[in-house]
Amino acid sequence: MQQHQPRRPAPIRRVLVLGLAASLVLGVTACGPSINEPSADADGARLQAPSDKSPSGEITIWDRSGDLFEVFDAAIADFNEVYPDITVNHEAVDIDAKLQNTLITGTDVPDGVFLDDAKVAGLADSLWDVSDVLAPYVDDIAEQKIDVNSINGGVYGVPYDSNPGLLYYNAAALEAAGVDPTQIETYDDLLEAAREYQAAVPGSQPIHLEQSAYLGQLQLEMYASQLGTSVADAEGELRLDSPEYEQILTFLDTVQKDGLGTRAEYLNPTDIAQLESGSQVFYPWAIWFSFATQQLLPETAGDWRAMPLPAWEDGGAQSGAMGGSSFVLPRDGENSELAWLFYEFLMFDEAGYTAVWGPNDVYPAGLNTSIPSYGPAADPAAPLFGPVPELGNQDLWAVATAASSEIPPAVPTPSWWAGAVDYLGNNLQRMLDGEMTPQEVLKTSSTDITSNLIDRQ
Amino acid sequence: MSTSTLTQPTFQSVAATPTPPTRSRPRPAIASQLFLALLTIGFLAPVFWALLSAFKPANEIIRSPLSFDPSTFNLDNYLAMFHDVPIGSGFLNTGIVLLIKGAITLFFAPLAAFAFAKYNFAAKNLIFGTVLITLMLPTIVLIIPLLLEMKELGWVNTYQALILPGAIDAFAIFWMRQVISAVPDELLDAARVDGCGEFGIFWRVVLPVIRPGLAGLAVLTIMNIYNDFVWPVVIASSDQMATLQVVLSTLAQNITGNRIGADYATVTGELLAASSVALIPLLVLFIALQRHFINGILAGSVKG
Amino acid sequence: MTALTSARTKRRIAPYLFVAPFVAVFLAFSIYPLIFTARLSFTNWRGFGAAEWVGWDNYTYLLGNAGFWSSLGNSSVLWMLIIPVQLVLALLAAVLLNNSKLRLRGFYRVAFIVPFVTPLVAIAQIWVVVFDQNYGAVNGLLNIIGLPDVGWLTTSEWSKPTLALLFIWKTTGFIVLILLSGLQSIDASVYEAASLDGASPARKLWSMTVPLLRRTIMFAVILQTLAVFQMFAEPFVVTQGGPYGSTTTAGYYLYNHITRADLGTGAANSFLLVIIVMALSLVFVRLLRAKD
Repeated sequence: MQQHQPRRPAPIRRVLVLGLAASLVLGVTACGPSINEPSADADGARLQAPSDKSPSGEITIWDRSGDLFEVFDAAIADFNEVYPDITVNHEAVDIDAKLQNTLITGTDVPDGVFLDDAKVAGLADSLWDVSDVLAPYVDDIAEQKIDVNSINGGVYGVPYDSNPGLLYYNAAALEAAGVDPTQIETYDDLLEAAREYQAAVPGSQPIHLEQSAYLGQLQLEMYASQLGTSVADAEGELRLDSPEYEQILTFLDTVQKDGLGTRAEYLNPTDIAQLESGSQVFYPWAIWFSFATQQLLPETAGDWRAMPLPAWEDGGAQSGAMGGSSFVLPRDGENSELAWLFYEFLMFDEAGYTAVWGPNDVYPAGLNTSIPSYGPAADPAAPLFGPVPELGNQDLWAVATAASSEIPPAVPTPSWWAGAVDYLGNNLQRMLDGEMTPQEVLKTSSTDITSNLIDRQ
Repeated sequence: MSTSTLTQPTFQSVAATPTPPTRSRPRPAIASQLFLALLTIGFLAPVFWALLSAFKPANEIIRSPLSFDPSTFNLDNYLAMFHDVPIGSGFLNTGIVLLIKGAITLFFAPLAAFAFAKYNFAAKNLIFGTVLITLMLPTIVLIIPLLLEMKELGWVNTYQALILPGAIDAFAIFWMRQVISAVPDELLDAARVDGCGEFGIFWRVVLPVIRPGLAGLAVLTIMNIYNDFVWPVVIASSDQMATLQVVLSTLAQNITGNRIGADYATVTGELLAASSVALIPLLVLFIALQRHFINGILAGSVKG
Repeated sequence: MTALTSARTKRRIAPYLFVAPFVAVFLAFSIYPLIFTARLSFTNWRGFGAAEWVGWDNYTYLLGNAGFWSSLGNSSVLWMLIIPVQLVLALLAAVLLNNSKLRLRGFYRVAFIVPFVTPLVAIAQIWVVVFDQNYGAVNGLLNIIGLPDVGWLTTSEWSKPTLALLFIWKTTGFIVLILLSGLQSIDASVYEAASLDGASPARKLWSMTVPLLRRTIMFAVILQTLAVFQMFAEPFVVTQGGPYGSTTTAGYYLYNHITRADLGTGAANSFLLVIIVMALSLVFVRLLRAKD
């Protein structure tokens, strides 16, 4: 019913085909911009400390926003007491969205960046090898933290924190049910304790089973770290299909099959309710679960305690690493050597690490969601943060430093690790749904990771 | 068929068409109000949840998301947010980009679309076809090439980098061509006979006639610029250049995409506070534009 | 005579002047990066070092990859869940809002736009909470009327409707806006004739408004098809593409390549998407013609 026919535009199909043809022709002929090639000269990429007695300049430091940003921000004043001529330009940025693009294009590159350990290997090509500057400290740093940052003989991150896995448990609920948590030394003991608890509290689902594919895989790596393994070895070769992984998956499968687990995503409404009701009483997780007891679980506050993880066999390691971060120094940064001084101060100078983990404005009792990875800072006898009231005034520092020293050596996380969640992470969830056996999870995931991730590198 | 002219708001549109009174008249009115009210509740409830939750203690947002106890309401999330993120300069930057980029799009997109709709010229179909292709191309894939280009130009962290890419976007051209195609040729020819130049036709005939479409494009352009974050996040890396959405994404990184930081609760509180603050100016703008929007629609109606 | 000639010349030159500013911006900031992307799709460039020409490798990898096809499948299902519902809602709302005598008209118009301007990350929080399997409000309501719990965010069957609802919530106001602008250009006299015939509102809507709005509706459908296939932010903030990849949309799958620095595959993926979306759009255009 259009009363006025406009001059009829060309048939849309022809227009589209023309456009597509044009873009293809333009695309294939090499008249586009050239892909720049940053120098990949590995030998010249070892950072050296500045020789200047009183170094001066400006550095740009990227951190994630939030409480940790505030902590680092406050520590800058302490840093400037030692190095008054270095101006720290501290920015809160969306690191995941920005860092990779910034490094690829080499524009306005920061001098130092806070980064997940798991992401270091993928970006190592554009980062400084800090092994020379780190040499005086390396023997005192948790081995696992150096390992995850080591690629082809270089070290590409200044280790920040250690995130030992701990077994958080509801001591009050267990006591009321007559279950003695001190008897738990292996995962078999944990299963036994869960059964006892369930017998005393019918309907309870004592052990946490992570339902997020990503966090589930992260937790799986914590268990694997305990056994000194991980999805890939130092050469990046897949080593998933192994007795260690089968043992871990069989344990998780048993928890699920025997109805001993609460299947929920970390701290979603179901998870919180199950924790508060006393149904879910065992939470094998990284030390940072401590924040949940402090902020999100007021009804059971004071009931929770932490202990080292059970071992996979008698005498085995009682902790594994789950998460953790480091500071990386991009090669295109203008004053990388000054940024190193900043991190050296924060991590290896008593004034620095005390400012980070000790009591401060943001955390009046100290930062108790991780511990330093630098030995002298993580002295069991000299806690930087105090006892945690929500953990019944337990000395979490002592538990965590002891656990941290148990973590076996490790290897760097392959750059495709997050991509593996589509396969390993998902298949793990399928197993918990009862649709796959542990062996199937390992076989299928290995095949898929190889063809979709490793072979596509 | 009469020669089309601009009319005063004399006609009444679709549902308002005068109808002979019938028995069932009041019932549809109630039914329509009911339908619209339900839809509105559905649209607004989540927003109200966010606005109200921003006043709750941060950990309560996570713990009991659906309960509201006014006695615990406070401004802590707002205070923390204003302290932690540069939301003020975010507003300023978004405002600047909005003003310039919006003006460029609202003027040049109809102008180019006018040419596509009403003229023949060399390579017209080729250009328009390419426009359609880029419309279908997910923008995320262009980010890295664009970023490399900005580096060559020395435009990283500048307003022109925030403004020019995506100004006069393919969609605006596509939509405006659609709208202008419906403008009767007789109207243009009549103006020509009256001695109007080609630009005069655009300015004095086409623009007034397409005001409803233009108002729609204005709303959409404002919203797109306001909501855009993928490009600003990568191109505006300094605090001084961060737009509002960049500020929001800096906060959101700690709680989305598998990220659960130890400050999960506090960040959620700050994020909801920032989102509330970000929403308000835009709401005010739309309410202010509302009258203009309707007037524009009536004034611009074309009688066939 | 000369005046006429010069008017004619002006008329010939005018379109070039009109499109020039657009073409300049378009060439600089769309075509130039587009060419780069097209070339990238034939390389294995990962952001660092030299790019190696791999021919059609990225394309053949994707075409032979289950993940690629399932991302398309997910987007198709979402399309079917979203488009019909959204069109009906938006059409009804637009027709009602077009009535200048409607009470609260201005309020509704603003209210419908609000979701479009509310930051998605803020809304993701409430979505996760309301659709929680055990403690969510939706399952609470279901339980009241005697229905069992549904795993809205935890099962592959229900995650898509949950995501579709979020998308409908977010974008329907925009579609209402588009349909309104179409409605406003419909000639009222057509309706007067129909009203005199005593046609019921429902009949008028179906047999008059819809055909008259055909072009606008098709326009909205094409736009939403583009949006659904490129959808990325919604699954990113609510489901991260899960559970089991059931909400890994075509756009999200593409995004994954890019964040993993697999830029060549990402580029190839986006061109395949262009072809698919283009084919779909042509189908709609043909449908539109067939109805003529």
